[in-house]
Parts: sequence; structure tokens; C-alpha cells
Amino acid sequence: MAEEILLVGRGLTKRYGGVTALSEVDFELRAGEVLGLVGPNGAGKTTLVDLISGAQAATAGELTLRGSKLTGPASRRARAGLGRTFQYPQLALELDVRANLLLGRAARRHATLWQMITGAFVGALRPTGAADGAAVRAIANELGIRDLDREAGDLTLGEQRLVEVGRALGQDPLVLLLDEPFAGSDARGVAGIAEVIHTVRRRGHAVILVDHNVDLVARLVDRIMLLDRGRVVFDGDPRDCLASPQMQSVYFGSDADDDDAGDGSPKAEVQDVRS
Amino acid sequence: MTTQTSQPAAVAAGRDIRRVPGIGGLALGCAAAVLILLWVGSDGYKQTLVTSAATYALIALGMYVPYLMAGSLSMAYSAYAGIGGYAVGLVSAKTGLPLAVAWLVGPIVAALLAVLLGLVTRRLSGFFLAAVTLLFGMAFTAFLIDAEALSGGSGGLGNLRPLNLFGWTPSHYQMVLGSAVVVCVIAFLLDRLRLSPWGVIVRTMRDAPRAVEAAGVRVPVLNLVALALGAAIAAVGGGLFTYSAGSITPDTFTLNIVFLAIFMPLIGGAGTPWGAVAGAVIAVELTLNFPAIETSGTLLLALGVLVIMLVAPRGVVGYADKLRTRGWALLRKEPDRG
Repeated sequence: MAEEILLVGRGLTKRYGGVTALSEVDFELRAGEVLGLVGPNGAGKTTLVDLISGAQAATAGELTLRGSKLTGPASRRARAGLGRTFQYPQLALELDVRANLLLGRAARRHATLWQMITGAFVGALRPTGAADGAAVRAIANELGIRDLDREAGDLTLGEQRLVEVGRALGQDPLVLLLDEPFAGSDARGVAGIAEVIHTVRRRGHAVILVDHNVDLVARLVDRIMLLDRGRVVFDGDPRDCLASPQMQSVYFGSDADDDDAGDGSPKAEVQDVRS
Repeated sequence: MTTQTSQPAAVAAGRDIRRVPGIGGLALGCAAAVLILLWVGSDGYKQTLVTSAATYALIALGMYVPYLMAGSLSMAYSAYAGIGGYAVGLVSAKTGLPLAVAWLVGPIVAALLAVLLGLVTRRLSGFFLAAVTLLFGMAFTAFLIDAEALSGGSGGLGNLRPLNLFGWTPSHYQMVLGSAVVVCVIAFLLDRLRLSPWGVIVRTMRDAPRAVEAAGVRVPVLNLVALALGAAIAAVGGGLFTYSAGSITPDTFTLNIVFLAIFMPLIGGAGTPWGAVAGAVIAVELTLNFPAIETSGTLLLALGVLVIMLVAPRGVVGYADKLRTRGWALLRKEPDRG
């Protein structure tokens, strides 16, 4: 089955002064595909996510989403169909979970200047919509978030990540970028995020999943890209990746199943979504 | 049996009330306004105090949107209130238009100026934003004194025509009443705005601007909209005061008011716009109506802020809410003992 190519990156490069964080990265992402992005600390995983989402400007290279060039600030790319989470969760800590989940959905209605102005008046007259409430509850159910009234600041790191994933899901993105969503999560959190990945793929959209835990990522994705010092050293089937010489050399011959990376990612039993 | 059937009904009624966001605050705010108006009665001085408190409240409510919701402290609010005031003065002195027109023009001009100032200062935040906008406020006062042909110089614009709404000229007391209504309506609407999707986005902008940007909203643009809305509300306050006072001078709205307006939500409680209103009433009472110490009112206010920060970090409204929650908890315990 020849799925549509959603996102293409060509020659993506990022230099900070003399340091090259990312060098000539090429990739393609098909509709319904889940791409794992692994590599040791400083390999350039988050930099690549930032270049795609527009959080950082690329030194060189270009991106195409569904055939049209993906440029400009993060907000424009989000409107084009990108959703993302952050390595360090970016939540409104004084707002409750419900409000934080609402953001992804609400943002779509406040994209233009005109919508931002009228949104203030509409908001004052009709603050809450039943459709918003139902959509937020549906997302919470999917992720297994139970208490919507808690302040985001009171949540554990794992729960905050879950809320961030839910917020991004509310945007209904074509490409969902998950930056280390499992760090600090318990087994339930991992299951919730695996469920989201499943949902996005079912909609025919795509996911880029970044994590240290190669073993966990390998079970969730269709394809793995292994980054090392800013370069792609492996791109292919997850099972091949685990056994590849590149994998062995990047992680200095250590067993890929080993959790010594110290990121605290749990080894939860996750259903293989490819089955 | 009766308690079993009546309790769910009461709970359901409670939910119905909660379904109208901000209605609880409105009820309390209106009740407080009625009490204050009863205390004022026909006392002319006290009536002036209410108008002052309403003006202060509107300036503090104006600052609430960009400062407490979006997290950017702009200090040009004396200028925005001044624009609202001078709009009334100029429409009265230089045109034959109905005075009510000024109440539309002032806020629009103030909002546009806020956008302009916001564009110029868009790379600034925190202390530097506060400092530059504060300078703008001072420059605006200097401009009013110098531009005699337009603003009447340091003497300002006096002998303004009375407000006339479709042939109806409100009495002084009706103006006082009207200003209380305007404050309650705007506080109520802002309280609802805070809970709305727009409010959620703007409040997220304060703590997590990257998340707002990543969700598809251009943060600098939304920030300008928040600044414009705040400036417009402050200009409504400036216009209100000028209608009531019948004159406007460069000294009517000074930096002093801006500093008071920063502290008003802290006194009253930053969690809701009603906190800003409560803070404005307290500030006016302490600075203008404290006979015992007369000129030390501002000192008293400063001490008051310190005490409140220590005792009730969430302000008077927040503290009252805490007491109410505790009270409920005590009441619920009662049947268990019996």
C-alpha cells in the first residue's frame, strides 16, 4: 500500500556558532507512520524536533508538509498541521487540567488577529461551550486522565507529560511530535501515550516519537532513525536497528535493553501497535 | 427521607448556578455595591469617593488583562485613562457631538496607542517593559501640559457639558450609581473572559508561551490584543471620571494611580477581577477617606499591602474564599456530632 508522504525533511542542519548540532538530516514520513527518533544525549533529537516545529530556525535545509513548504514561526506550522510536546512540559501550572487540555482545541479558533479580537468578546459573553467540554473529556478518557479539576502544578512529571500529549492531540495534528513523552511516566502513563499513538495512526496521521528508551520505542514504531552527534546513522526497521552494528557502536556495545541511560523510563508492557 | 430528597435538589441547584460562569462573583459584587451605595446615601463627598473608586477599579481591571492574565506589566495606564478623560473633554470643548461619543472614541484611541506602544516595546519584558512604559506615561503628562492648543495646558479642560444620553441627563447621584454598574458589568465580563477559551490561551501565555505558540497562536499578536483590551477598559474609567467631575487636567491621572492599580489586585486578590475591584475600594477608603491620619493614607496603604501579603497572600477575596470553605466544612461536620 503506497501511503501518501506527509512530511519531508531535506538537508536539515543546525549550527550554534562552531558547534554543529544537526547535520544534513533527510527523512520522509508517510501517512499513518510512526517514526522513532533515538540516540544518546546530545545526538540532536530535540534539535530536530525544534527545527521541524519551528521552535528554532534551521541553519539550512527545508521541510515540506503535504507538498507545501513548511516555514515561519511555530504558530504557523502548528496551523499547517504540526502538534508537539516538550522535553520539559510547558503547562499553565496555575490552571487546572481541563483548561490545559482545552488550549490545543481553543487555539485553532484564535489563529488570526480578527479571531483574537472577536474571541475576547465572544469569550466574555459565552465562556464555555458544551462541545469543548465533551472533546476535552474524550481526550482525557483516551489518555486515562481522571481528575480534570486538579491544578497542573500539582501533577507529577509523568502526569504533566500526559496532559501535554492530550493538549497536542486536541489540535488534531497531521504530524504529532512527542519529545521524550515517557520520562517520568508510570505504566499507566505509557499505556495512555501508546493509545494516543495508536489513535493518530488510525486517523492516517503520523507520529515522530523521541525517547532514550530504544527498547520501548522499538515496540511502538514502524521505523527507527538513530541519531549520533547530529547525523543519521541508521534508518529502517526497528528490529534491524536493535541488532545493527551502528546501534552497538553508538551505545558503546552496551545492551540496548539496558536502562542505564538513567532517564527513568519505565519498562512497561506495551502492546505492539504494529500488530 | 425529606433530607434525602432535598439534598440532591440542592446540589442540582448549586450546579445550575455554577453553570453560569462568574455569577457568584457578580452576586457578591452587586451586594457589596448596594451596601456601599447605602452607606454613601446623599453625602456628596462620599459620592465622589464612589466615583473615584469606580475609576480606580476600572484602571485596575484594565491592567488585570495584560498584567495578571498575560503576564506583561505595562505601566502606561495613567496615559490610557487620560486619553479616555481627554476624549470626553475634547468632544465637549471642540465639537458639538453628543458626549457619549467620547466614551467610544477614547477607548478606541487608547487601544490603538497601546498597540503602537506594544509594537515598540515588543522585545522588552519584566522590569524594562515596566520602566519604558512608565516613561511613556510621564511623557504623556508632559505632552498634555505643552500642547496647550489641544489639551488646554496645565489648566486642562473645564466647564464640560453634562452627559446626555438620548435626551436623558443623569443627575449626579445617577452618575454615581451608573459608575458602580459599569464596574460590576466589566468585572463580571472579565471574570467570564478569564474562564473562556480566550482567557485560557492568554493565561497560558504567561507561564508557557512556547506551548501557546506550538498550538498555533502567535504570542506577540495576542499580547497586543490583551494590551489593547486593557487600555480600552482604563480609558472607559478615565471617561467615567471626567463625565462625573466635569473637568480634566494633566494631573487627574498620574503615575500614583498606576502604582495603586498594581497593588489593588494584590490587596483584593489576583485570582479574580473582583479582587481588583475590592482592592480599589480599599485603596480609595485608605488614601482618601481616612480622617485619623489624613495625609498618611498612602503610607497606611503600603503597610496594609505588607500585612495582606503576610496574612492572606491571595488577597482579601482569596482569604474570604478560604474562610467560606472552612465554614462549609464546619457546617457539614455538625450533623455527624448530633
